[in-house]
Amino acid sequence: MSGAANRRLQKELADMRASGLRSFRDIEVDDRNILIWSGSICPDNPPYSKGAFRIEIIFPAEYPFKPPKIAFKTKIYHPNIDEKGQVCLPIISAENWKPATKTDQVIQALVALVNEPEPEHPLRAELAEEYLKDRKKFMKNAEEFTRKHSEKRHD
Amino acid sequence: MDSNVRNNKQTQAKKLIEKYFFQITVGCGNADCQNKCCLSSGNLEKSLTPNQAAVKAIQLYVEEANLCENLKDTEEIQKKNSSSSEDIEMEVTSSKKTNAESDSMKKIEPSHSSLNKKSNDNLSPSSPTKELAYIDEAKLSEMIEICEETKNYAPIIRSLGSVFSDKDSVLKSFQQKPKSSVDVILDRVQQVSAIKTMKKEDIRTLEDDEKDQDLMDCEENKDVKIPSYSTIDFESLRRSFRRLYEKNSKVFEALDNAIQSLATLIQIDMRIMRENEQFEEVLCCIVILFEIFQIGSSMLEQSIFRTLAAITALPTWAQAKLAHIWSSQCKEGLRPILLILQQIITLQVIANTYHRDFHVNDNEIVSNATKVMKIVFCANLLVSEMIELPKYLPEQSKGSGNEESMLEEEDEDDFSSILYQVDSSKNKQTFEDPLMKELSISVHDCNEPFIPYEEFQNEPLCDVIETDEDYMRYRNLVFNDNNSMPFSSNKKFSFVVYSFVLTPSAKTLALFFDSRVKMYSERRTMLLNMAYLGTINNPYLKLKIRRDFIIDDALAELEMVALSNPKDLKKQIFIEFDGEQGIDEGGVSKEFFQLIVEEIFNPDYGMFTTNEDTQTCWFNSFSFENEAQFTLIGIVLGLAIYNSIILPLNFPMVVYKKLMDVRNSWHDLKDWNPILYNSLKAILDYTEPDMEEVFSQTFEIGYENVFGAPIKQCLKSDGEKIPVNQKNKQEFVELYADFVLNQSIEKQFKAFKKGFQMVTDESPLKLLFRPEEIELLVCGSKNFDFDELEKSTEYEGGYTAETEIIKHFWSVVHGLSLENKRKLLQFTTGSNRVPVGGLSKLKLVIARHGPDCDRLPTSHTCFNILLLPEYSSREKIEERLLKAINYSKGFGML
Repeated sequence: MSGAANRRLQKELADMRASGLRSFRDIEVDDRNILIWSGSICPDNPPYSKGAFRIEIIFPAEYPFKPPKIAFKTKIYHPNIDEKGQVCLPIISAENWKPATKTDQVIQALVALVNEPEPEHPLRAELAEEYLKDRKKFMKNAEEFTRKHSEKRHD
Repeated sequence: MDSNVRNNKQTQAKKLIEKYFFQITVGCGNADCQNKCCLSSGNLEKSLTPNQAAVKAIQLYVEEANLCENLKDTEEIQKKNSSSSEDIEMEVTSSKKTNAESDSMKKIEPSHSSLNKKSNDNLSPSSPTKELAYIDEAKLSEMIEICEETKNYAPIIRSLGSVFSDKDSVLKSFQQKPKSSVDVILDRVQQVSAIKTMKKEDIRTLEDDEKDQDLMDCEENKDVKIPSYSTIDFESLRRSFRRLYEKNSKVFEALDNAIQSLATLIQIDMRIMRENEQFEEVLCCIVILFEIFQIGSSMLEQSIFRTLAAITALPTWAQAKLAHIWSSQCKEGLRPILLILQQIITLQVIANTYHRDFHVNDNEIVSNATKVMKIVFCANLLVSEMIELPKYLPEQSKGSGNEESMLEEEDEDDFSSILYQVDSSKNKQTFEDPLMKELSISVHDCNEPFIPYEEFQNEPLCDVIETDEDYMRYRNLVFNDNNSMPFSSNKKFSFVVYSFVLTPSAKTLALFFDSRVKMYSERRTMLLNMAYLGTINNPYLKLKIRRDFIIDDALAELEMVALSNPKDLKKQIFIEFDGEQGIDEGGVSKEFFQLIVEEIFNPDYGMFTTNEDTQTCWFNSFSFENEAQFTLIGIVLGLAIYNSIILPLNFPMVVYKKLMDVRNSWHDLKDWNPILYNSLKAILDYTEPDMEEVFSQTFEIGYENVFGAPIKQCLKSDGEKIPVNQKNKQEFVELYADFVLNQSIEKQFKAFKKGFQMVTDESPLKLLFRPEEIELLVCGSKNFDFDELEKSTEYEGGYTAETEIIKHFWSVVHGLSLENKRKLLQFTTGSNRVPVGGLSKLKLVIARHGPDCDRLPTSHTCFNILLLPEYSSREKIEERLLKAINYSKGFGML
């Protein structure tokens, strides 16, 4: 039942598992469908450095001719990630997608965005405003939120 | 550095040698000249051949002989005799034609010939009244000089008059000059880097070479030169006449008379011409004449009229040749020629009044200009960027995937000719343009025209064309005499076959007449049948529809008509909703079409899918509906065009291309599936050798079926084992695009097209419209209902519909131009298309993005969110918004 993209995806999966990214762990692939991956993002910067965040990567059947989609499964207090876990990541946008882009590059871009929020282009405007105006309050709220909702880290 | 210095030295040396050359051949002009090395002193042999003179000049240069004072100013010399130095310049621009050297000895620069008694040139500056055999730049400028001095232009008028009223003289004029001997030697001198150190032996070798050269020249002289456009020196022709025009444009009046008689003569001659060479000569003349027309068109009106008449009398192959010459020799001149023609047509339209008995079609000047414009139109296509055609696909799949037409035309090996006659075997009512066929070009193969199509359209003309009369002429041409082509000259003229001059609205009107005429003729036959045969038949295509089962009923009724009597589809449509009083005067059928399209194109209905990025519809290759359903959709589309009803369709352009039998390529993915297009482009653009490694792609691709399940597809046999690499990436891209655009939907599209053709097979649709215009015809101009958008918009982050800034926002948006509204849509949603069902289906969200500040509004096209800071005033929101939508392209903002 898996698509033609599996040769490429299997290779990418093997490469990623072999390289052992510190910020993206526990990569799992759906038993029946290699097009659905999941894993844990472990950011380095506070206020998220204490938690792990589950994400799901869904590859289209046309991969790599169409970009994958990414969604957060763990709730996160972040100006660029909305309540439903949706994130707007330029590297996988329709306009910017390149078939040579590898999934680990996508993950790295995602981790960078989590570590360094971009309040200029928020999905949650109120968080962006708080981030810009009252950084202390934002950090406190985010840390609180992370402790409450995020997954445990195994390190 | 070093080479610079050397170049400088060389040019200096060259200049000096030129000066010596003049001194030897022309002299300084001073009667009391004491310089032994100057012709004016009388100490030099006068009958030097140019070659000898050139060698001598170099010797003098090496010896550093005396140079007369007034000769040192070469500028002046060049003015006086645009000779040698002019040639050097010409040589740079004109290609070196060896056969042009043949008469090198006969006509070198006038400066030599006037002094060189051996030369058999019959021009001498002292007797310009003598009849000229031909004219060229040097002669002309010489004459201008003389006339300037004497303030009497009579000689030049006489000379030009005699040359331009005689075909043979025109043909000999402005031929490319042979490489003059001085230049030949100078070229060689330049190859020797250290000129100064040149020894006498070197010069002697040069001299020997010269002799060989002379021998060769003599031999070549024996060949009779056929005048040809390829040897016309366009540069000098243009220069000369521009100069003449600036100096004294009155000369052109005389020229006008001469050319008139020339063109008339040519036209008469052509009636008895049989030899191809003779026509070639005519072409050559025409090309020269048009160069002159470009310079002084206003003075040469009558000549242009005559010349146009002559051109239209040319046989098709010669017209095709003319298109080739214009496209290859004077690409830049195409637009000026087009302008001249447009001016003529517009002037004729304005200056005359047309009425019942004198239609604009009867104005021969207009019709001739239109016919010549077709040649320009073809020439324009010849120089335009053509569609990049698939190289790796088998012939059959290059087209639309329509086997029917492919099978019918199997004997035709030239694909482009098929485009115009797909239906010709069924009925004789369509025809191909003979000129386009001769050139084997088609508008449909053109990607980007060199001169935009719009510039060929003539609006004043379209205003005076009586479309009904014009259309009737077209019908008479096509229907009454199937054997002869509508282009033959003894036929009445119809603009329908020259559709490039027509504006889209004029074309639409022509199509409307076509439909109406057919509808009425159907009605008439029906009445006759009723009267004589007693058969009762409805003169309308009457469909009885139940509102709740609109699609089922429509499809059932249409299917019955299509099966039993497809000709009935060409009757005027008449819709009756069950249980409703409304009588169809157009409004009811309009509603019917709207409803049916909304339903059928709804992705839930399963026949079509919608691309989320572009909001365009595509055939669902997994549709459960049988082919008959798609045929019926094709009929509906055809009926909408036939009945002039606008449909809110969102097909990508490639659908219309396929309907019109235009070849498609992977470039056509762009407006339908830009992500796939960009990905394929990225593959083509990738040049690193590690391609197999990076992409890990084989000739097996994946796609999704309706349930979202992935499916594999091999693009060629054993595709899963063939990796895509630098060698086969082009093939991969073409196969991929062909699969998506043609193979995967072949069944559905074929059925769809069959339905479309059932209604439009006899229509001049293909003749009149390009695919882009068909889209306009079907969908109307894209109309944005922003009120609807405002009603459906949601707000976040503290905004509501009542917030001050939101009110301002909408008042600004409603005041935007159509272009800016389009950009706003592009900015917020990533697509400037309206989704099926209107803008309300967009689900736009406007979110507060902080308090008043100078930041620009931003957007998330992924979720149609517009982020708007709470600006303080209406002016500010307008300024910021306009800046944002006009300065952001694509995803640049994030």
